[in-house]
Amino acid sequence: MRLRRARPLAAALAVSGLLFGTAACGSGSGSARAGDPNTLEVWTRSDPESAQTYDRVFAAFTKKTGIKIDYQPVMNFDQQLQSRASTKDLPDVMINDTALMGSYQAQGLLKPIAPASIAGHDEITAKSWASTVGRDGRHYGIPYSRQAMTLFVRKDWREKLGLPQPKTWQDTLALAKAFATRDPDGDGKKDTYGMVVPGSAQNGYVAWWGASWLWQGGVRILEQDGSGYRPAMDSPAALRTVTWMKDNLFCGDNGVIQPSALTSVTANTTNFQDGNAGMYLTGPYNISTFDKALGKDKYEVLPAPSGPAGNNDVLADGENIYFGAKTGKAKLEQTLAAFLISPEGQTLAMTGDHQPVVRIPVNSTLDAAEVRHDPRWSVVQKAYETASVQFPNAPDFAPIKQDTADALNAIFTYCGSDVRSGLKELNDTLAGDLKDQELLK
Amino acid sequence: MTATVTTPGPRRVRFPGKRAVLPWLFLAPALLLALVFKFLPMGKGVWLSFFDVRPFLGDKWVGLDNYTRVLSDHRFQDAIGHTLLLGLGMSLGGIVVGFALALLLEGQARSLKIIRTAVFLPVVTATAVVGEMWRLMYYPTSDGLINSGLGLLGLGPVPYLDNPDTALWATMAMGIWMLAPYNMVIILAGLAGVDRSLYEAAAMDGVSLWQRLRHITLPAIRPALGIVLTLAAIRGLRVFTEVYVLTGGGPAGSTDVWMTRAYTLGFTRNDIGGASAASVVLLCVTLLLTVTVNYLRKRGDAR
Repeated sequence: MRLRRARPLAAALAVSGLLFGTAACGSGSGSARAGDPNTLEVWTRSDPESAQTYDRVFAAFTKKTGIKIDYQPVMNFDQQLQSRASTKDLPDVMINDTALMGSYQAQGLLKPIAPASIAGHDEITAKSWASTVGRDGRHYGIPYSRQAMTLFVRKDWREKLGLPQPKTWQDTLALAKAFATRDPDGDGKKDTYGMVVPGSAQNGYVAWWGASWLWQGGVRILEQDGSGYRPAMDSPAALRTVTWMKDNLFCGDNGVIQPSALTSVTANTTNFQDGNAGMYLTGPYNISTFDKALGKDKYEVLPAPSGPAGNNDVLADGENIYFGAKTGKAKLEQTLAAFLISPEGQTLAMTGDHQPVVRIPVNSTLDAAEVRHDPRWSVVQKAYETASVQFPNAPDFAPIKQDTADALNAIFTYCGSDVRSGLKELNDTLAGDLKDQELLK
Repeated sequence: MTATVTTPGPRRVRFPGKRAVLPWLFLAPALLLALVFKFLPMGKGVWLSFFDVRPFLGDKWVGLDNYTRVLSDHRFQDAIGHTLLLGLGMSLGGIVVGFALALLLEGQARSLKIIRTAVFLPVVTATAVVGEMWRLMYYPTSDGLINSGLGLLGLGPVPYLDNPDTALWATMAMGIWMLAPYNMVIILAGLAGVDRSLYEAAAMDGVSLWQRLRHITLPAIRPALGIVLTLAAIRGLRVFTEVYVLTGGGPAGSTDVWMTRAYTLGFTRNDIGGASAASVVLLCVTLLLTVTVNYLRKRGDAR
């Protein structure tokens, strides 16, 4: 009898416990600390390895200023950010890709920034500041780290085959073919590939990797026209460049690129560090990984080869510091940004035992190669300063990149397809994207 | 003679008794969880599908524009075809293989328990891990596990995932591998209820294996098959992780399914309104399919 009477009580307790638990869950992540007026909630798109570098940077900041940081490294940044945006509760400070600024601004996620309000703003070059100007002419980010692609080549293989460093597309192609066919690892098997390509359309990868080839072929995805843009993927240069890429890299001799290129993203494109591919046009954040996997002496960091347009421009990108819209901690945010761009903050983020989170410093008083005592970084810095093009930051570039990737992946997949009609269709799609953003000229 | 008049007493308000409240009290935690984590987000998703979602600038009402845009997009139209093909293939393949596994592994022997556990492993392994594993198995050179097997027969290597003609079938094969053991367990439970004496009688009558399956086993496990079919149809339509990890929807969109398109729309293109509309359409189709399968199952049971 006693047991029976106890049942409703137990059920009521269970329900109230659950209600309490649900309410606790719904109060938002880290709100206890983020609600503290002397604490900033900071998000970065980082894996555990690079998060350790950020931990060191933020610890130094807290020691210096007394401002606490509630730091969240977030792997699937965009998904999590959209979730937080839907609750109108954004992190105070976010560090993420430059090319996403237009997208964030279009959604109203960012607070505009007056460069003069950030101490040390004059140590950032005009070129870097220019990359944070939004559609309305105001700044929506503070440059934090920059990088440009360079060509990583297996030096030991190249020297064994007696071939020179590649300077042009033809040199690169010849070297790739030699790596694929002349057994550079000397194991007597045909198990090496010329070049690594993350060629999937997923998250726009093939557009990200292919952009450098497009720039070198004299192609621009969009061209600025006054206050607007127009798509430029139906130009003769685009036709020539994409046809060359298709015929020589994707549909040419077997082995020039790794076999699973069309469905590969950077995370599963590990052939270079696995030691079975000879070249990789990619960002310098890979240097620490390649040093560990291959050894410094096995590969070299070279400027990208020149294309038919006569330049060796590469894709440049990097990270900006963004302030989440409608948070009331402007002073604290500005203090953190000033520290992050200062020589001290940048040096901390470029060094240490873990993956550096600042690649090329935005602070013009620093030199990447000197800070790291590694001359290979001067190749990257030079590429950024003299031969780089960024995706435009003002329009929402996310749909443009995705549509370009979808089209390029399809063109490279169907070797018998007509490149001209594929590019014409892409151009029409891009025009639609720009029209949606009211930016089509 | 006295007339007996029954005067109605004061009308009593009937409060639900303890007996009626208690089940609801026990149900409350589950209902609350479902409300907070399922139905409210679902409702929000339906609501957002009518807006151009801009949390900090104010959402803009666009009516059915998101639906029109999604349904008229040729990539979504292709994705419907792929989803249906993949869903159908995975569901039927999963049931056939699951049924075959259940028949092979039915019994009480200790060794069978070990094999059943081993066969069940794909179900408890994270889909992302399974996807990466199958990526390696499908590796398009003779180094890949499947291609090295083909090499022994003097065939291949086949670029399973990088050829748009084979990528969807390769994804389907992985899906069947993952689904079949799950179905096997449900069908095994169904098989346990089959009256053994029917088999003995059939054996005495000298019927063939096929006749035994058709006239005894299949009718006996009809309820289990109904459950398996409903679950498989739902799982088949909302397939996402398998495709996302294995091919990312490529090459050339040849494995793009409804959910990968919705994901790209929502999280790569930041079009939350469009992604919500795509998800609502999928919800409607899934509901429709579930109701149809259940209707057909009940009609079959009644017959």
